[in-house]
Amino acid sequence: MLHHFAVWLAATPVSMFIQNVLWIIPTVQTVHILAIAVVMSSVAMINLRIFGMAGRSASMVQTTDRYVPWIWIALIVLAVTGATLITGEPVRSLVNPAFQLKMAMLVVAIAVTALFQVTVKRHAPFWDLTPRSVGAARAMALMTFVLWCAIAVAGRWIAYMILDYAS
Amino acid sequence: MNLQSVFDWLQGWPISDAIRQSSWLFPTIECVHVIAITLVVGSVMIVDLRVLGLTSIRKPVSELSWEVLPWTWGLFVVAAISGSLLFASKATAYFADIPFRLKILLIGCAGLNMLFFHFVPLKTLRRWDQGVQAPVIAKLSCALSLTFWVLVVAMGRWIGFTIQG
Repeated sequence: MLHHFAVWLAATPVSMFIQNVLWIIPTVQTVHILAIAVVMSSVAMINLRIFGMAGRSASMVQTTDRYVPWIWIALIVLAVTGATLITGEPVRSLVNPAFQLKMAMLVVAIAVTALFQVTVKRHAPFWDLTPRSVGAARAMALMTFVLWCAIAVAGRWIAYMILDYAS
Repeated sequence: MNLQSVFDWLQGWPISDAIRQSSWLFPTIECVHVIAITLVVGSVMIVDLRVLGLTSIRKPVSELSWEVLPWTWGLFVVAAISGSLLFASKATAYFADIPFRLKILLIGCAGLNMLFFHFVPLKTLRRWDQGVQAPVIAKLSCALSLTFWVLVVAMGRWIGFTIQG
């Protein structure tokens, strides 16, 4: 079913155009990686603040306001460039287990980011790290960062899983 | 000793051989390399955009730099080591590759630009540490830094299209 859709998509004029213009895929991938750089470093800055290793002159609410909007903007860029890459190489991506795992983890990461953004504002004192809450906040921060790294790893692995599907 | 014998020596390392033989070693090191580079580039962006007066403007440039740049350096070392391992596995092919050469050249340009920033505009930091009025030469240097790093990522991605894994 998904494979049929991928084959159909690959035969559409827009997909053919992306496949046939040599510079489109590398350029779109470059923009995709730069947006990943924005997400990863924004998440890292929030985590350093939660761990008290950077940005302590700003409150958690200020830190969130500084970096979370950049995560959302970068995610929009990632969605647009990612959709372009899928359209150009549907069989390489859609039926690829690395791609499917990446999408599943992405849904979790987006949910965690949204939840984080909402709860920071509602429970500012919790996030400004009383001794009681510090452990939970740090555990969550660490898991989120690991999740984003795993998404990047799965993304890179798409290129290596495709070999099984080429034949 | 010519370059080719250096490349042969690198390619003869046991780790280089292991990377060539293994189905998972190259992609795994590559993942470390990519994650390190995204964090290097992202953290450089945070400082460059601050000097340009576009983000984090409530924070002094010096404070933000002290918080961010040690991580940038640490991650640059991770990117350099992982990148060197990938290079050692196929040194001759990488050295002959145009995007690879451009990438190394651009990293050199980013390094020289950083030295310039350190020794020229940064000398007057006390006057523009707060607020958004960094001198034109400081802003120019940070705009160049952003340009170089964007191109480093572009060349890195291009290597994947010119060298077969």
